[in-house]
Amino acid sequence: MNYSLLAFAGLGVLLLAVLAWLSFSRLRNKPEAILSSRAERECRHISYLPHIKQALSDSDIDFLKTRGSPSLLKRIRKDRRRIAITYLEALRSDFEKLLHFARVVAVMSPEVEVVQELQSARLHLEFSYRYYLIYLRLVFGVAPSQALGNLSDIISALTVRMETAITELGERAALGAEFSPFNGGGMDAS
Amino acid sequence: MRTAFSSTVQYLWAASAALQLLVFTILVIRGLVRKLPLFTAYIVLNLCQAFLLYAVYKRFGNLSHAAYLFAWWAEATTLVARAFATVEILKLAMASYRGIWALVWRLLAACALFVLICIALASRGDASWALMEADRGYHLIFATALVACLVLIRHYFIAVEPTYKILLISFCFYSCIKVLLNTVFQGFLYPQYIHFGAAWQIVAMLSYLLVLIAWAAALARPIPLQSAPQVLPAHLYTQISPEINFQLHAMNKQLMNFWNLGEPRH
Repeated sequence: MNYSLLAFAGLGVLLLAVLAWLSFSRLRNKPEAILSSRAERECRHISYLPHIKQALSDSDIDFLKTRGSPSLLKRIRKDRRRIAITYLEALRSDFEKLLHFARVVAVMSPEVEVVQELQSARLHLEFSYRYYLIYLRLVFGVAPSQALGNLSDIISALTVRMETAITELGERAALGAEFSPFNGGGMDAS
Repeated sequence: MRTAFSSTVQYLWAASAALQLLVFTILVIRGLVRKLPLFTAYIVLNLCQAFLLYAVYKRFGNLSHAAYLFAWWAEATTLVARAFATVEILKLAMASYRGIWALVWRLLAACALFVLICIALASRGDASWALMEADRGYHLIFATALVACLVLIRHYFIAVEPTYKILLISFCFYSCIKVLLNTVFQGFLYPQYIHFGAAWQIVAMLSYLLVLIAWAAALARPIPLQSAPQVLPAHLYTQISPEINFQLHAMNKQLMNFWNLGEPRH
């Protein structure tokens, strides 16, 4: 069997499959709609940060070790893992919103820098790889308890500043569009 | 007549010429010739190719050297015309998105350069072999580049006018079919199947007929005037994009620190 022929045939079938997907799937949103939607720009999960920090704090576990039963400790650890997974999913959702916003800004800009676009694509790939790696570790319970305890430190570094920054970016973009010489109007102009 | 083609192939050939004529008529009647001059030129070239090839085959026979040379030159010409027609449609579809069009344009140029280098390396000076590989290579890279552009269009949520989308997807579909045909028929069936040539032509022409029907249907519909999308001032992108990438990098780092997965590269 000739492997190069198999490779050509495989590529042909793959391209046809992607083409079919591109042909029959629909776009969910138009760029303008995404940019003007406040919900898309916000990373709302950050606002739950204090609660998650409290839930994951080491002091709770230390307290339970001395006062609580082993079954309770086990259940709490299980709950902590669930919280960690939920947080991870929320982090991903925030990341994707930011990425979404970046694409919309790119598509509405008269000039786009290849380097910036490639960097955002690379960051997306890196994030996806790490996300699934950590997610699988959490799901299969191979995560060290120390790591779960450290989660609070990690998320505290991802500050509420991000939410403010994204909202500000959205406002600046909307303001820029309003005064853009290409538009002849604001965001609602067509 | 000295051609060795079966009557099925000849009927399909006639149907293809008739459909191309129909597409050309639609382009003229709907006044799309000025909007899609390169696509129109491609259709006209294809029509000319069909009529001239028929004449050459009739005069010299389809197995003659003259017919072989003419067929390959005609094919090369239409392939170049197809590339130009595709770029024209892509440009029309993305005319309002200057920044992204610049990205797509670079992507297409990189793909074209890549195919040229691959063919030059693969042929190693053998002209006739290079011709065969060039045909398959062209279709493969053409389809890959077009799929990449369509993926990019989707990635950036660009809504392409359905007529242009159908034209582009049909081009891509035909190239994918040609790659599969050249690979499956020439590679796997050629040693075993005596009517390989006729079967290859029938399948290739049937797929092209499908493409022509799709084009005729798409072009028969009115193409609405594209409303100009909202455009941000150029400086906003240069301010916002690095900031967003910085935020993405920070989030990535948070995830990396989760279990010390390794420092991401800058």
